[in-house]
Amino acid sequence: MMQRVFALTKMLLKKVIREPAYLFLMILFPVALTLTFGLAFGAIGTSDTSSPTMFDFMAPGLFAYACIFIIMLVAQSFTDDREQGLLKRINVTPTTSGQFMGSHLISNMIIAIIQVAVVFIMSLFMGYRPLGGIIGVLMAFVFMILLSLCSVGLGLITASISKSSGAATGISFIFILPQMFFGTFIPLTPTTEIIAAFLPSYYVTSSLSSILNEGSTINSEILINLGILAIMSVIIIIIGMFLFKKYSKN
Amino acid sequence: MVIKSNKKNYMSPEDIFDPNSKAIIIRDLVKKFDDITAVNGLNLEIENGELFGLLGPNGAGKTTTINILVGLLKPTRGKAFISGYDVSENLNKIKKLIGVCPQEPSFYKFLTGKENIELFGNLYEMDKKLIKERTEKLLQLTGLEEASKRKAKGYSGGMLRQLNLIIALINDPKIIFLDEPTVGMDPRARRKTWEFIGSLKEQDKTTILTTHYIEEAEALCDRVGIIDYGELIALGTPKELLEKYESKNLEGVFMKITGRRILEGI
Repeated sequence: MMQRVFALTKMLLKKVIREPAYLFLMILFPVALTLTFGLAFGAIGTSDTSSPTMFDFMAPGLFAYACIFIIMLVAQSFTDDREQGLLKRINVTPTTSGQFMGSHLISNMIIAIIQVAVVFIMSLFMGYRPLGGIIGVLMAFVFMILLSLCSVGLGLITASISKSSGAATGISFIFILPQMFFGTFIPLTPTTEIIAAFLPSYYVTSSLSSILNEGSTINSEILINLGILAIMSVIIIIIGMFLFKKYSKN
Repeated sequence: MVIKSNKKNYMSPEDIFDPNSKAIIIRDLVKKFDDITAVNGLNLEIENGELFGLLGPNGAGKTTTINILVGLLKPTRGKAFISGYDVSENLNKIKKLIGVCPQEPSFYKFLTGKENIELFGNLYEMDKKLIKERTEKLLQLTGLEEASKRKAKGYSGGMLRQLNLIIALINDPKIIFLDEPTVGMDPRARRKTWEFIGSLKEQDKTTILTTHYIEEAEALCDRVGIIDYGELIALGTPKELLEKYESKNLEGVFMKITGRRILEGI
């Protein structure tokens, strides 16, 4: 069973490395984004390096920002596979849909881990000095892994309602845009905070800001956020798998 | 030469295959898509080791029949058995027994030919050594050795179809479904593929070949079933059919029965 999951995961990771569009979206885009924001709002070039910069407030949101785009990657990947008859071809082998979906979950978790590492290193270069120590960094990984699961689920939902990979790209923004604007580094108003409560990325940014910027230890608020995110990821994945299986059968 | 696996839990097609059962039995098979009846009461038996051609115009129900047999579609009515296993109940065993070459080349274009073959070998849970040996053997037989090191994205149409065929054979299946395997190939590549398909018979494989190329069916198949509007309208060896319908070729047989040419539907 693991042989199939491992082989499919390896194939999906090769796809990210070999397809320029995916490589840009998943790895180069987060790098470019961190560089741009770091140069625009960071401490580089300023004389005052002691007080926090705008970039320090933005950095936790940048972790989530990159991971949100996994929605588009998954939606495109599944619709591409469906259009090219690959889902059917894999379906006539002994591979189960659980193994196929599982390989997507694992590969995207790995991508999320790479994204966190890349954004973290780039942020440090841009003058970001996070608090929270090693625990803070580990928590960032845990939150991002859960966010990547949500993104895979939302990608599956997008693929289910998209007739082509082109449509999937557009439709994926239904889930990407609200998270970008209400769940990352853009300040929230009382109204947008209500919307944000339904967005996975909000819980990630909120918790990482507490840990990395305020130096909070793991407190009840952070654990509640982690719990909400875990429940969200399970529900979204189940809905995504259910819809995609149903759609694929039709 | 049969290459054996050392892997303990691996069930090869040989282990699952029942030589005492017929390769394929289809009983009163019906498949409807809303108001359209794609397969209409099909009855058919295919013997082990037979190279059987399913011939008919586009939309006749060939691919739908294959899709039911390989588990991609559920029949509306009727039964189908592969090596004695009911396709509605024993799909897991059937999937380990068969190889399917779809009409359109379906594999990952960003992978090399070899990587694609190895990926599918892993999906059958074959051990690494066995995958390597089978891959090398199949690449050698098809002459795709050099190209297999390159990404499939740059392959010619003929190469894509050859790779499509190799992937279908990686698990050394006992029963092989080839859905229009030579569409779009130039005459030379088609001849080569015919030789390759012919060699499967020598390896005691059962092959179900759907095609609308008359000469392909005549050259390769032990028996031919002609299908139209989801119904089997003629069945026999090419020689029997030519004699029965007093025709020079299978196209003539189809025309005598339906008043149309097979190629009209294409």
